[in-house]
Amino acid sequence: MAPRVVVVSLASDFGCQVQLTNMEDDLLDVLGLMDLTYWQLASSGHMPDAYDVAIIEGAVTTTEHVELLKDVRSKAAAVVAIGTCAVTGGIPALANTAGLETRYATVYGGGVAVAPGRIAPAPIDSIIDVDYHVPGCPIDTAEFLRGLSRVLQGLSDHMPDQMMCASCKVSENACFLEVGTVCLGLVTRAGCKAKCPSLGRPCTGCRGIAPDANLASAREVFARYGCDPASLASSLLVYNTAAEVTA
Amino acid sequence: MFFRVIAKDRLPDLVRGLSTEFEVVGPVAKGEKFVLAPIEDPASLRLDYDTTVLPPKKWFFPPEETIMRFRVADNEVVDDEVYAPPRVLFGLHPCDVNSLLLMDNVFFGKYVDPYYRARRENTLIVGVSCTPSDTCFCNAWGTDETHWGFDIFLSDIGDSYFASIRSVKGAELVDRHVESRDITDEDTRLFQERTAAFKAAFSNDVDTSQLPLLLDAKFDSPIWEAFGEKCLACGACSMVCPTCYCFDVHDELEADQQHGRRVRTWDSCQFKEFAAVAHGQNFRDTRASRVKYRYYHKQWGYLSKFERVLCVGCGRCARACKANINPVRVVEALQTGVVD
Repeated sequence: MAPRVVVVSLASDFGCQVQLTNMEDDLLDVLGLMDLTYWQLASSGHMPDAYDVAIIEGAVTTTEHVELLKDVRSKAAAVVAIGTCAVTGGIPALANTAGLETRYATVYGGGVAVAPGRIAPAPIDSIIDVDYHVPGCPIDTAEFLRGLSRVLQGLSDHMPDQMMCASCKVSENACFLEVGTVCLGLVTRAGCKAKCPSLGRPCTGCRGIAPDANLASAREVFARYGCDPASLASSLLVYNTAAEVTA
Repeated sequence: MFFRVIAKDRLPDLVRGLSTEFEVVGPVAKGEKFVLAPIEDPASLRLDYDTTVLPPKKWFFPPEETIMRFRVADNEVVDDEVYAPPRVLFGLHPCDVNSLLLMDNVFFGKYVDPYYRARRENTLIVGVSCTPSDTCFCNAWGTDETHWGFDIFLSDIGDSYFASIRSVKGAELVDRHVESRDITDEDTRLFQERTAAFKAAFSNDVDTSQLPLLLDAKFDSPIWEAFGEKCLACGACSMVCPTCYCFDVHDELEADQQHGRRVRTWDSCQFKEFAAVAHGQNFRDTRASRVKYRYYHKQWGYLSKFERVLCVGCGRCARACKANINPVRVVEALQTGVVD
């Protein structure tokens, strides 16, 4: 029996789900491998009671999300987090930088009742065990397909732990740091083939800090190449507030 | 070996002529840097380049290569052909010519690598003399000279190239495609004069004498911890190194999960995952140990097997490493016991 799959949305801009619809060449193959029983973005159906694989986009921002996640975890054999919001807390977690309530007051004014049950935005695996991770803002469809293949084949999760610079060299890109431009590739998780530097833009760190990153040395590197060392931490905040930015 | 003189303004004839028989690959500008890429127009060839971002190894041992395609249902290999068109690498510096000889020792060992071999056997090498840049240290290993490993080597003697012709194929191609003449005593004098000027132009004069002994003596030196503190573990050094040959192999399934491909990619001993094995064990768990063994392998382990160090002093790692770790600094640290 084909695995029953649901696509669940938490707090995000749905960009990663749009990426799923963008993989036109492979979409029919992928749909042929599964029984896609629920996808809010693409159909008006309701979430079923039983399924095998839950693909989840978005950060956890409300108590309702927490309950939903716990329910999903109790039903799904495999939970897949897609996109940086789900994997690190991503941009929604920026709300934590000045204190959540302060942020709400700044945006909505004091005393306004919005977002009932709001909690500090967090990655999915702060609430439940996650079996597979596909980081990126948005996700790369080829990487999603490799991840999906691992889910379907029952293989283990395999996010790269190393940094971006090696891929950037393989693409023979000029190094942004050499011209004093802030680039976060030297501490950011590899796996996108240095897509942005290859298109002429520095890495903004959307895949999150790599587990093997040497943040202390990276700060010294910034200083040596004329980038403000403090800008390393502040630039990393965009996608990493939920992680501990120790630089 | 024999010698001819080719006027510089005739060189485009040789490139155009070679293009009728081969894919010609040479140094071209990419922004402020240079890369080895197919030459469509001889005018794009930049023989005045300092170095290329990636070394010539990418034309024999690509960063990512499909080594076979297979069918899941019956586990059959459906395609394992190696793509190896007739090719000329035009304009390699002596360091890079020497680097290929070091790679040959590995890929043509007891177990010959069929992918590397197919491309190596279908590729001619045209070398060109160079001017040392501030990151060059080929003089430390004697790889500033090359006596074999090329078909033609072009040494700049002013308005002409002093062409050393090493192979029958190289001789035939020069005969067929470009006007040349016999060398004179004056050409040889100019060649010697240029060689002396080249040798005098190096800014790095690192002393590599007794290096294996020094490495053995400094196995437990605190310098390795100091380099480990600096190392970004990014692996850029391995990617740009003309003699780093480590690779990883993995299988990937197509979207339909019915077909797959086996892929080999460049790997780096600086990645934490490099020495990770089953059951969570990792033989090189720290950055310090990984940097250390990079140097023990290149400057001692390979030497003990092939009587050469696995480094040609091209300086690419010195340019790529943002943490400022490179062989010159490592040798100096071994000598002084200090990492500045």
